[in-house]
Parts: sequence; C-alpha cells; structure tokens
Amino acid sequence: MEQIKIFFKAKCPKCPAAKEIGMELKREGVPVFHYDLDTIDGLAEASFYSILSTPSFIIEDEEEKEVASWRGVVPTLQEVRQRLFRSN
Amino acid sequence: MIEIKGFLETSFLDWPGKISSVFFLPGCNFRCPYCHNHPLVFEPGQFASISLKEVLRRLDALKDWIDGVCLTGGEPTLHADLPLLIRQIKERGFPVKLDTNGSNPEMLEKLIDKREVDFIAMDVKAPLDPFSYRRSAGCSIDLALISKSIEMLKQGKVEYQFRMTVVPPLHSEKEIRTLGQQLKAGRRMTLQNFNPENPLDPSLRNTLPYDPKLLKEMEKRVQEMV
Amino acid sequence: MASVIEMKEERKDLKEEFETTDMALFVRTSEESMNDWNRQRIVDALIRETYIDVDTAKEIAREVEDLIVTSKIKMITAPLVRELVDTKLVERGLEQARKMHTRLGMPLYDVDQLILHPNKENANVPHGPEATNLTLAERIKKEYALLSVFSQETADAHMRGDIHLHDLGFVDRPYCSGQSLEYIKRFGLSLPNSIAMAKPAKHPEVLLAHMVKFAAGLQSNFAGAIGWDAVNLFFAPYLTGMSDRDLEQLAQMMIFEFSQQAVARGGQAIFTDLNLYWEIPKHFENVPAIGPGGEKTGKNYSDYMKESQRFAWALFNVFMEGDGSGRPFFFPKPLVHITEKFFQTPGHMDFLHHICEVASEKGNTYFIFDRGETAKISECCRLSFKLDQTDLEDAKEPWKMRYCALQNVTLNLPRIAYLAKGDDTRLFSKLTEFIEIAVKAHLEKKVFIEKLLSIGERGPLALLAMNRDGSPYLRMHRASFLIGMVGLNELVQVHTGQEMHQSRQAFKFGLKVIAHMKLLVDKLCERYGMHFVLEQTPAESTAYRFAKLDLKFHSPRSGHIVKGDLSKGEVYYTNSTYLNNSAVLNPIERVRQEGLFHPLIEAGALTHIWLGEAKPSRESLANFVIKTFRQTQNDQIAFSPEFTTCNACNRTSRGLRSSCSYCGSAEVDGITRITGYFTKLSSWNKGKIGELHNRYRNQAYIEAKEGGTVLKAG
Repeated sequence: MEQIKIFFKAKCPKCPAAKEIGMELKREGVPVFHYDLDTIDGLAEASFYSILSTPSFIIEDEEEKEVASWRGVVPTLQEVRQRLFRSN
Repeated sequence: MIEIKGFLETSFLDWPGKISSVFFLPGCNFRCPYCHNHPLVFEPGQFASISLKEVLRRLDALKDWIDGVCLTGGEPTLHADLPLLIRQIKERGFPVKLDTNGSNPEMLEKLIDKREVDFIAMDVKAPLDPFSYRRSAGCSIDLALISKSIEMLKQGKVEYQFRMTVVPPLHSEKEIRTLGQQLKAGRRMTLQNFNPENPLDPSLRNTLPYDPKLLKEMEKRVQEMV
Repeated sequence: MASVIEMKEERKDLKEEFETTDMALFVRTSEESMNDWNRQRIVDALIRETYIDVDTAKEIAREVEDLIVTSKIKMITAPLVRELVDTKLVERGLEQARKMHTRLGMPLYDVDQLILHPNKENANVPHGPEATNLTLAERIKKEYALLSVFSQETADAHMRGDIHLHDLGFVDRPYCSGQSLEYIKRFGLSLPNSIAMAKPAKHPEVLLAHMVKFAAGLQSNFAGAIGWDAVNLFFAPYLTGMSDRDLEQLAQMMIFEFSQQAVARGGQAIFTDLNLYWEIPKHFENVPAIGPGGEKTGKNYSDYMKESQRFAWALFNVFMEGDGSGRPFFFPKPLVHITEKFFQTPGHMDFLHHICEVASEKGNTYFIFDRGETAKISECCRLSFKLDQTDLEDAKEPWKMRYCALQNVTLNLPRIAYLAKGDDTRLFSKLTEFIEIAVKAHLEKKVFIEKLLSIGERGPLALLAMNRDGSPYLRMHRASFLIGMVGLNELVQVHTGQEMHQSRQAFKFGLKVIAHMKLLVDKLCERYGMHFVLEQTPAESTAYRFAKLDLKFHSPRSGHIVKGDLSKGEVYYTNSTYLNNSAVLNPIERVRQEGLFHPLIEAGALTHIWLGEAKPSRESLANFVIKTFRQTQNDQIAFSPEFTTCNACNRTSRGLRSSCSYCGSAEVDGITRITGYFTKLSSWNKGKIGELHNRYRNQAYIEAKEGGTVLKAG
C-alpha cells in the first residue's frame, strides 16, 4: 500500500489547500503523513526528499521508494488518486 | 550462469564520456606477464561471486546516472552464456560495452550481428606476428583468430576501440609503431601505460613505465596512421 | 642571550615608598636590561594591573622579597618574580587578581622544540624562522584570547573540547573575507600605513600586482581565506586586444604569484579562492565596466564576455601544466560556478571538458553549483547566499561587495552523544546548549573586534577601517558568524548504534540533528540581529583534537567510535556531515547523500571524491558534473587525485608511492587534498594521516572468500 507524505509550512499561502487534500485522502483510508518544515522532524524529512518548497507531495511504495511527487505545487485530488491507482 | 566476481558501480574511465558500471568476470585464456587483475582471473575460486540479482538491483537504483555497463575480465567471451548476461542487462535499458582480447571472433560476430553490444574494446597485445604476440600474451595464440576479430571490428558495424598496454621491455617504440601500421585505426587506437603494482610476472615489478608525456606523443603518432 | 619577557619597566612616578632592601641581586627584565632589585616594582605592577589595594600589594612585595633573600640567589628573571607574586595572590584567594596578573609565554623547552620542528596543526605553514615567529605569536595570542577576550565559560568549553574556537592565535582579526577586484580597480592601492599610494592600475600586469599586494595586506588582517569574486570578468576590460600568448603569460603570472606567496605572513601561502564564471552573471550584465585607470569604459560587463572567457580558459591551461615539476598548484583555488546560465552560454561544453580535464589530471577544479534562477554569489568560506534587493543595489557598484565571516566555532558532535547516553531529549538539549555557547563566543569576539575597529585608521585593524567609499572596508553589518560541526557520523553512531551510511534510519537521524541546528540558528539570528550560519568546517586539526580529547574523557566508549588507527594514535572524527571516509559508497551515492545536507548548511558545503590513481575521462567527469547539478542538491564537488613528487629528480607521478616511478629514489613526498586544499603528506597531522589510509577511492567491490573485502583500484 502506498503512503503519502505532505510537506507544508504554517505561513505558506497554498498549504491549507494541500492539507485539505491530505485530510480527504485520509478519510478514504490512505496513509497520510503531514510534515511541518518549521519543525525538526519536518525539516529533516523534507531534506531527505530534497523538498525545498512548500507545499509538496510525495507518494511512496511499501519499500519507501518514491513513486510520484509534486514539488511546490498543489495537485488536484483527482491527480493524486490517479497516481495512487496507477501504481496499485 | 556466469559468475560475477567483481563489481564497480561507478566508473569514469572504462567507457569514455559515459558514467558506467563494470562487471568483472573470471578466467582468461591469455597469460600476459603484466596482467594486474591476475588473482581474479586465475584463482577466481578465491573470491565470492556476487549474485546477478543483487548487481541488477544496484543498477536499477542508479538508473538516472549510469549510462552503460562494461563487461571485463579476464576474458568475458570464454563464457558461452555471455550473450545471456548481456541480454539481461540490455533488457533493463543499459547499453553494453565489452572488453575482449579478440580470441573468440565467432562470439563477437554473433553479438555484433544481433546488435547486442554497443561498444567493443579489444586489447591488442603486440605486433601481429607469432613471436611478438606470444611474448606479450604469455602463451601461444592463434593469430588468425585475432586478425579475424580485428577485421570484423574494422567493418564498423559497432563502435570499437583497440587498446594496447605498453610495457617498456616488451614494447619498444618501433614495435608500437609496427602495430599501429598494421591496425591503421587512427584515433580508435589508444595506448595505456602498464601498472607495475602486482603484475603476474613479479620481475616486472621493478620496471618503470613509459614517461606519460612520451606515451602521449607515441599515441599521437599511431593515431595519425589511417 | 635569551631575553626574558616580563612586566613593563616601572613608572617612575609611582614611588611613594622607596625603602627596598639593598640586595646584591640583579633582575633580567623584558627591556633587555639588568636592573637592581627593587621591591617597589612589584607593588607598581600589582596596582597597575589588578584591583588590589596598596597595603596588600606592599605586603606581598615584602613577602616575595623575604623569599628571595633567604634563597640567596644572585640573579633572578622577572618572570620568576611574577610567578612568586602570583603564588602569594593564590595564597590569599585573590583568584581574579592572579588572572589579571598572569604572564603569557612559553617554556624554554617548548620554544626549542618549536624552532627545530615543523608545525603540524596547519599544513599550509612551512617550517622556517618566519613560521616559527608566527607560531610563537599565535601561542601568546591564543592564551590571551582564552584569558582575556573570551569569558571563562567559553574558554573552558574550548579547553574541554565541547567546542573549538578556530584561529585563536589570530583572535585580533576577523576570520575570512571575500571581495571584488573593483575596489582596487576604482581606488587603486592606497592602504593605511603604507608609504606609497598607487593610483588605479592602467595595465593588466599592474592590476595583478595590486591584487597580489592587497591580498597580502588582507592576509595580515584576516585569519583565513581571501576570496575574489568573478576574477576573470573583472579583469576582462583590461584584456581587450591581448594576444593568446600574452593572456596565457598573465594567467601564469597570476597563478605563480599566488602559489609562491609562501614568503608572506608566517611563510604561509595566502589561502586564495578565485571565483570564475563562463557566463556573465546576471547581476553584473548591465553594470558599467571599470577599465584601465579606474575609468568607466563606456561599456557594460556583458560586452566583455569574450575576454572574460578567454582569461578563464587561459587560467585552466596553466593549472593543467602544473608547476615547474608538474605538481598541481596548491593555491590559488579555482572555483567555477555552474549555473542555469552556464548551460545557456555558448561554448560551455568545451569549457566544461577543459576544466574537467584539469580536474582529472591535476584535481584543482572546484565545481560550485548555484541552482535556480535567483542570483547568488559566493562570499568567503564558500558561503553563498541569494542576493536580496540591497545586494542587487550593491552589485551595481561591485566594489561595495565585500563580505567577511568574523569567526568560526565548531561543535564536537560526538561529545554530545556521549553525554546524552542514548536519550533523545537530552541529546537535543545538549546540542542547544553547545550552540548557545558558540553564540556566546561569537558575541564576545564581536565585542572585541568592534573595540579594535573603533580606533579607526590609527588602530590595529587600520586596513579594515579604511573608508574610501562612505563605509569602512569591513562592513560589520554584513559579517557572518560561522557555526561548524565535526563528527555528525559518529554522533549518530554513538546514539543509534549505526553509522549514517549503514541505514536509512541512521541517515535520517543525522538529518534531524542538522535540521535542529538549522532551525535554532535561524531563531538566534532573529534574536540577536546577527547572521549566524552553519558551516561544514574543514576541520584540518579539529577532527583530530576532538577525537583525542574524547579518548581522554569518554573512554572506553570513544575507543570504539573514533576512526583511524588507535594503536598509532592516528585518530579522527569524520568531518562535518560527511559519511564515513572508508564506506564503500560509489561517487554517485556519496554526492547524492552528502548533498541532502547541503541545503541546510549555507557555508562551505562540499563533497570530496577521492580519485586515487585513477585518471578519468574528461567527458565522463563532465557527464557526472552535469548530473550532479541536475539531479542532486549538492553545493560543491571536487575530485582529488593523488601524486608522488620526487625530491631527487623533481618529477611528479600519479598515485601515492614509496619511491619515484621515474628514477626509483625513495626521496619522495605524497601530495593530495588534506581538506580544502592540496599539500604534501609530510606536513599532515596524525589524524588526517589516519583519514588518508581510510579514504575509499572508488575501487571495485571484490570479496575474498576467506574473510575481508579486497578493493581493487578502479
């Protein structure tokens, strides 16, 4: 099962929309993890994936290998679902 | 299946212009006194084999970086199932370069005809006469096979290169020029200096290689022969 | 006669009571004279230097006199008198007074050793009288710094090895500096205290002479690196119409001038960084060019691309040749900026192949990656930053672009892990504590330097206070304060049981530590209104010092952690956030993984690729450089080959060998990069020798069945 990692910052204008998508997917049963870049864990995780801008999305497979990503943009819920679906 | 005895994940020198991975395959039919790979070549049992699966897994992980795979040895064409190994690598999208001493033109021909290799680097040991070749290869060699391989490569169906490792006591400037004349391969012929560290014939350990500048000049001269 | 330094000659006006015992005793003083014994001098010194009252001072003087009288010695040195006085202060519990009355200096034995044997703390210092002077001066200034510039708390943290205050022997100077040639092009060479003033250069050779002299002047006012921005571009207006031959000659002069400056301060070559660009950096495109005589040429810098490129090319021709015996030049260091615009500039592939060939043959080239569209420039210490609006204004008048780092303080990260005993919370709170000490040290140094600068052009830092364009040369408001780290790998190893290259989890923990440092440092910038930045400390001797101190204080645990050869004392911690030097990691993984730390570290981030003997094809290196730019976050890479240079036949060959491969002589010296520069191995400290043995040089992985991995040169 894939998991989604969402990276955000408190003061970024597009981030609320990104978190919204995360919430929705969570409701659908997709494992979603949120990372705030102003916290240690968030910044460390973001560095691991070379995330330099927010909001960003990473889809990973079970082996924590990156399957898809959106960096510095907010994808539509549809786009994310498609990628999740395709790799299943 | 061929055993892989050594694996270099990243090489900047085995395939000019490319970032390549190198597989070392065991065994050789030559006994070049200046060989510095000899433990791997002649006593392969000493070394553990690396599973092909593992090697391919590593290649996949480096996919965005690696432009090709070099097969070297020993002499890779000694293994009848070499084409099978090559196919597995190519299936993953990596071009393949083969290092050979040219003693198996039959296999080379098949590989070339089926376009299974992208580059062949053939080691040429000495001027093409039985005495010189025998001296440099450390055993008697059927020169007809060597010549056949050379002719085949020169048809240009595949990218190729002739490499000569030069050892001062074995290869005088004159002999290097003679081979250059015989090959007439222009810039496709390259010279490389021998490495005195741990050669097969220990007496060569005290041999000084050619001055790199002189070597460059000699290379320039043979490359003018077309 | 070895003159002995001592308290200043007494001031004649302070002699209210002059009834000293009439002894037949001579005192050797610091003024190189023999004075008769005079007890009053003790009193004077105590009153002048400490806060104690006259009565106590007199009492002490009398006690010391009694002591000397009863010993019946005929001659005494002033330092000994001072030490005797100090024991009396200690007896009275006057700790602060004793500190103020401290004498700085060195034991005879140490000086003897120093004069006879080379200094290994900094491989860039050759051995000689000038170098010995430097070391002697550094010793005293170091003591002075720890006693007088820094608080006891900071000094103790340094002495314990929690932190390392770099270049304490240069405490009265800022750390490093970066500047623009435009300053001397516009204002000529007119330095405070110098006896002649030179107007702006009219010829390229003269500009070069000014540059070299100014660099030497700066070296006397900074502890570390002297960097120059866009050197080829700013030379360009002087180069129009020059023949290839003349241009090559100029390039050769520049490189030899900077590499042979070993006659400067302390016999040390100036640690020179030349920043070079193939393109015209965006922020200089429309800037009016300054040419001969300091006059505007009427053109913009974008009109000088051809000259600028030709000069850069010529410089690399010289690097390719190496010095007179084919060795790589140790200095200056060429830093080539790889940017988006680089790839849009005609001829970039040829140039990339050219500098890659130098990287393969001689190793000199540093590849600096400035990604993204925003303009960036390099300060000193390879501190790069994005230009904000005020910087872009400065860029229109490039002589204003002068930057400095005031000091460098490095944290001993493994120490933190020993102290945390496996507890996360404790680890992060200790880390915070260490950073706070580093910040305190920076504040203390800042106060001290500001004090020196406040005396202006008549003070000790006159060159930095000189004001030619409305602000002092050293722009304090732009100063950075570096916070470095050593041994992240070992911190992670102590804390998690694994080194960073051994598991994803361990690696991520390493990132977490640096993320913590980064967030904290950002917060501290706001709190103090100062520019603190994380730096990958080169840690030439610090990595060795920390390892030794931890072996002392955190044994036996540290014995399993420090890297190198314990039995030979060749121990070290892995530099900064690097992965284990001996880890079998291909250059791709090393560049990629180490690069993940680089966005968090603003200064000095660099990955070394140790080539060993291998001489890669230039096209393959160029290929690798481009992929590194496109596919990683790595800030800077350098390829380091190894050489053997023969002192008998003066020739240089590839690889580290015990004898010359040309003439067979055993009189050879190895050469490779120690940290950020090339040097001879004979000058390396033990820790770095340990690291050298361990460096993984991209060998093939071949596993012997009977235990142990055999690595074959690739």
